[in-house]
Amino acid sequence: MNPFAYTSPRNTTDASALAVPNGDFALPVLKSGGMDLLDRMKEGLERPDLVVDLTRIDDPTLDAIDAGRIGGRVTLAMVAESEELRKSAPILGAASGSAATPQVRNVATVAGNLLQETRCWYWRMSQFDCLRKTGDDCPAREGDHRFHVIFQDGPCLMVHPSNLAPALFVLDGEVEVVGGDRTRIPIRDLYADPAVDWRSASVLSPAEIITGIRFKSAPNSAFIALKQKQSFDWPMVSGYAVLDLDGDVIKSARTCAGAVAPRPHPLPQVDAALAGLSIHDEARIRAACEISVDGADPLPGTAYKMTLLPVAIRRAVAAAAHSAGTARGGDA
Amino acid sequence: MSQPPRDLRAINAGQSVADHATRLDGLEKATGAARYGRDQIKKDMLWVRLIRCPWGRASLDSLDRDAALATPGVVEVVVSGDAGEYHGDSIGYVVARNRRALERGLQALDATWTRLDCKTGILDDEKARAPMGDPSAETAKAIDDAAFTFEATYSTPVQTHSSLETHGLMIEPDGENSIVHASTQGTFVVADQIGRFLGKPRSKIIIDCEHVGGGFGSKFQIGKEGAAGGLAAKTSGEAVYSFCDREEEHLDTGNRPSLLCKVRLGHDADGTIRGARFETFGGTGVSRRGGGARVPSGRFEFGTLDSPNHQDIQFNAGGPRAMRAPGCPQGAFVEELLIDEIAHRCGLDPLALRRRLDDSERRQRMYDVAADLIGWENRADTGSQTGTMRTGYGIGTCHWGKGRAPAKIEVVVHPDGHLEVRTGTQDIGTGQRTAMAALVAARIGVPLANISVAIGNSMLPAGPASGGSVCTPSTAPAAMAAADLARERILAGVAEREKLDADRLTIDDGVIMEGGRKVIRWEDACRRLSEPVSVTGEFDGQASAHWGEGSSEGVQAARVEVDCETGQIFVRDVIAIQSCGLPLVRKTAESQIMGGVIQGTSYALFEEQVLDPGTGAVLNANFENYKILGSEDCPRIVPVLWRDDQTGVRALGEPPVVPTAAAIANAVFNAIGRPVRDLPLRPDRVLAALAEPMAERVVAAAPRNADLENRA
Ligand SMILES: Cc1cc2nc3c(=O)[nH]c(=O)nc-3n(C[C@H](O)[C@H](O)[C@H](O)COP(=O)(O)OP(=O)(O)OC[C@H]3O[C@@H](n4cnc5c(N)ncnc54)[C@H](O)[C@@H]3O)c2cc1C
Ligand code: SF4
Repeated sequence: MNPFAYTSPRNTTDASALAVPNGDFALPVLKSGGMDLLDRMKEGLERPDLVVDLTRIDDPTLDAIDAGRIGGRVTLAMVAESEELRKSAPILGAASGSAATPQVRNVATVAGNLLQETRCWYWRMSQFDCLRKTGDDCPAREGDHRFHVIFQDGPCLMVHPSNLAPALFVLDGEVEVVGGDRTRIPIRDLYADPAVDWRSASVLSPAEIITGIRFKSAPNSAFIALKQKQSFDWPMVSGYAVLDLDGDVIKSARTCAGAVAPRPHPLPQVDAALAGLSIHDEARIRAACEISVDGADPLPGTAYKMTLLPVAIRRAVAAAAHSAGTARGGDA
Repeated sequence: MSQPPRDLRAINAGQSVADHATRLDGLEKATGAARYGRDQIKKDMLWVRLIRCPWGRASLDSLDRDAALATPGVVEVVVSGDAGEYHGDSIGYVVARNRRALERGLQALDATWTRLDCKTGILDDEKARAPMGDPSAETAKAIDDAAFTFEATYSTPVQTHSSLETHGLMIEPDGENSIVHASTQGTFVVADQIGRFLGKPRSKIIIDCEHVGGGFGSKFQIGKEGAAGGLAAKTSGEAVYSFCDREEEHLDTGNRPSLLCKVRLGHDADGTIRGARFETFGGTGVSRRGGGARVPSGRFEFGTLDSPNHQDIQFNAGGPRAMRAPGCPQGAFVEELLIDEIAHRCGLDPLALRRRLDDSERRQRMYDVAADLIGWENRADTGSQTGTMRTGYGIGTCHWGKGRAPAKIEVVVHPDGHLEVRTGTQDIGTGQRTAMAALVAARIGVPLANISVAIGNSMLPAGPASGGSVCTPSTAPAAMAAADLARERILAGVAEREKLDADRLTIDDGVIMEGGRKVIRWEDACRRLSEPVSVTGEFDGQASAHWGEGSSEGVQAARVEVDCETGQIFVRDVIAIQSCGLPLVRKTAESQIMGGVIQGTSYALFEEQVLDPGTGAVLNANFENYKILGSEDCPRIVPVLWRDDQTGVRALGEPPVVPTAAAIANAVFNAIGRPVRDLPLRPDRVLAALAEPMAERVVAAAPRNADLENRA
């Protein structure tokens, strides 16, 4: 790791000012739990000259959980354990509780989870250059890309790593930000279009800090992760579903796929096909979920995800319908 | 449908020397008080790190030695090469005053490389891609004479060593001597190796390895990290610390080599195998040898067998080192799955076929118990299930031959009745320390609390390295001999003082008795000693009453569930039956078996080194992407210590890891009706297998009871 200066401001205004490159520090960086940032610093992928630590900011709203809002500094473990959220949006606890390991979840924060960098194993190794760094090629394309995309939405083949982000997609979530001109950004606008910008983790400017997330209540919501290992593993594919039910009939549905595209991948065609179906109509629900792979263009090594995706979506829909809501698993 | 197997852990009660002893160092290890070599961090010491090649094959373009040397804290930069043959290959090392200076020095070195073409696996070699060779005339005839021929290709991945305590050593000057805190599975082996680099005679070197965090075959040599540490200590005369980090551990401390195995055989309708040819290719990375696999193992009858056809295949990756039962788990996977495939072709229960092909009487009896405990009667015919979750049952087997090495154990009886067991042999986590103490305590007749153990130091009596599963079988006879000598010494004194016949004295729970009469407490008898009494028991490596003549056998049965929509495999239960002669400590013996099953399950489902096909860089030199079994993936394991009438201590270290992957692969075959012939059994492979037609049957299925009759 390179030497760096460290500061822990007491309010977001100071933090935001410190995070902007200036005469003293050319490469300041924000740190929340540090789970992702420190990994990147150790690998030499990130060489900040100033680390602005958000953990000392004196603002209780950063740590608060309400029915429709979670502070940016809340840990994944707290999200997973919240009774309040289990009622209002069980999908959030399920997605958070399935990520990583208990140790990681105790430290990792909501804001950091949304803005963490890709786990592409080429990107994570400092000896490889790639499109997402300074290079012109993607070594994963001809290489071993078993954990990469089936939707080639841009030249970079990474899958978005966050468990939480797709959950916010189906909850019509927004992120609260301070430090810039705007105070709310719909989650669907948080990540750049990978066909245009394949290098940025988000559209935020350096001064902008996420202070919380907001979302609608969705008691019939569920998350499914299909993992190779049940302890400490990333999903091969994940499925997210929110259902608005009228008795046993799906009035409307919102579904989204994780680990298949450079951003969370909403599935409007599935949503449309699900609308009006009875939750007991297994055949038609199955058919509706089959079209989740429409538009996919898998790589030779990711063809198996074509089988997994409809299954993940169907299981998420079934869990949401029965408002069990939570498919846990993965407590390392 | 299938009821959960009964928990029969109680069947192990009374089989061992010590039923209730717990690890003597358990608390120390759990609390972190135990000091490993890697914990020997001193304020004033030098840190060493190798300069490593970042690609599968590359030549060094430039390197700024001056800049590295100018980095504050860097004391030495040694560059001895200008090319790397694999990711992790080293071309020299940097020595610095502290870890940070070391990292900065390496960064300042700014090595730049040109990537060169490289090979990244067995199939990059033409020899392995070639069609199978022709069997010998005799084998060819046997195959032709059989009713059916069968051909298949199997593969297993590179499984890397990655010890919990990484490889390395810390060297501390002590006057004329050097104390070497080594993470090793061979106290005396290291003592012989390190002198060359330290420039010191053997008499001036003391090895300390009181606690060792795993080895599994990879810690017989000091490695490049140890050699560099030795050289740096010699040059500087200072204390030196040279340990791998986790990435280096994955890259350059050895592995279980990969295997490609092609088989052609001829079999009859009743499953009898008339003749077979096996071709094996071992992936040895840059090493010239070490890729052998035991297939066939000799446990099953294959008719006329072609003589072994093995080739080691080189490519640009780190070389193998011995790993727990070298060559065996990969061989067992091929052989046992092959047998299940033949059974299925013939419509036979694979257990019934195994019974016919296996002539070990002990395993025949183990099959009964394994089948009973796993619930074999609930096993559906292979491929007969439909639905999303399908259950499968599978069997695997092992055997382990006898091995032995000379060993000495010293027992010191102190005047307060306390006994000290002294042995230089290392405890790599197997429980050697506890086994020796429990054995001496039981042999003399005193409580375990009376015993302490000094272990893992070259100043203590010599003993074997932990390899070939010979360690406990060889040290146990020495410990028994030492205990007998100590006991005789004390009883002789008592007999003389009390005017009794020493032969009639016994010791029971610390009390010396004659017939039913209490004579004197052990402590009080020892109080008469004017000074500590030291006796040494010796095992000369030759057959003796205390040494277990004979082999160890094992049978494992697995029950899995396969999610046929996702290809995920969940291993639910593993029954692991293992004979090892006389088990010493029940809990550590069980834990040895359970550890084997855990390692074998991890090998079956998850572990594989992944090389980038273009550059040869290892893409998963960490525990995030090099997947190993975690708590949620662990089956319920029932270890069964199989005693029979056996005396003497036999091998237990390696055999339990042999059958597991084979049993799991067979269970998966049973569940889904198609064999998955490549390890690890990843979801994508299971899905690909499910997309294939059901495995072929050449003989109509026989009704179940006909199977049983066939056996007779
Ligand atoms: C072994 C392991 C397994 C994992 N498995 C999963 C998994 O299955 N699913 C999953 O979703 N995640 C997984 N993770 C990732 C983990 O959840 C993230 O690393 C973690 O959530 C990041 O949160 P943090 O608070 O530590 O972020 P940090 O590391 O502090 O920050 C991450 C990034 O966000 C920026 N940032 C942080 N806070 C703010 C803010 N308030 N405003 C603006 N920018 C900010 C930082 O500058 C940095 O670039 C895993 C991680 C590990 C180590
Ligand atoms: S997938 Fe993206 S991050 Fe990975 S190597 Fe390719 S361009 Fe880089």
